Amino acid sequence: MLTPLITTARESLRYRGSGHVLWLLHRVTGLGVVIFLGTHIFGMSMATFNPPLHEAMLAVYKTPLFSLGEIVLAACLIFHAVNGTRIAILELRPALWDKQEVATRWSVIITLILLAPTIAIMAFKSISYYATHGLR
Amino acid sequence: MASTTVTPGRTVRKVQPIPQTRNRLELALWMFMRYSGLALVFLALSHFWMQHVLIGTHEIEFAGTQLRWGITGQPVTVEQLIWRAYYAVMLILAVAHGINGVRQVAYDYFGHRPATYKGLMYVVVAIAAIISLGGILALFMGAAAGGEAALR
Repeated sequence: MLTPLITTARESLRYRGSGHVLWLLHRVTGLGVVIFLGTHIFGMSMATFNPPLHEAMLAVYKTPLFSLGEIVLAACLIFHAVNGTRIAILELRPALWDKQEVATRWSVIITLILLAPTIAIMAFKSISYYATHGLR
Repeated sequence: MASTTVTPGRTVRKVQPIPQTRNRLELALWMFMRYSGLALVFLALSHFWMQHVLIGTHEIEFAGTQLRWGITGQPVTVEQLIWRAYYAVMLILAVAHGINGVRQVAYDYFGHRPATYKGLMYVVVAIAAIISLGGILALFMGAAAGGEAALR
């Protein structure tokens, strides 16, 4: 049962050009976001069905480990959004198909431009929070 | 549409066109992934930047959720209805987009084992259905009353 997974992992990591790396990242970040999405919807719906559990979830959101994970989430979400826009635009506009290489480069550049201030703000807010409230 | 140009010394393979009536669902889902994705770029990024970055996760409290969703059994303001609609549309699109993404990944790795693939997808769809129905219900019921933070 694991053989296809092992084959996939090995073959996925073999370099086949920039588009291939972005395809792999799109897949990994998508799965990352969808896992958080499930827990997030569950946690937020507890604001209606189980307020103490909801408050407990908010407390977990304010721990250093979660803050680190949240920065990874930001990276996954922003990359998936930008790269997904590239995929949608290119696939819906065949006239642009000779611009694939340029598009993959811009996918990375725009991701970094959006991600840098996002991580900076999140890191700054996290550090100042844990500096005043202490590590829990 | 078979290729008719024959270069001497080269084997010409007849290419069968994909029947246009087959896999209509796959085509619809393919289109859905593009358009829901474009919508989610605005919905999910605006939500993430608003709640997780600008307000900041450390400032999020139960009272804020009560303010945006409204409280169960209390009258709803127009503003709260707009928030509920915003979250509900985002939730439905995100869950559907996510399930179809998981399905594509699952098909790539387990497609050659239909039983595993189907079983996996039944579990994924069941979990997603329960969670998202719960989420929609929570949104339109409004947040529960009370709460430690709400009393401050």
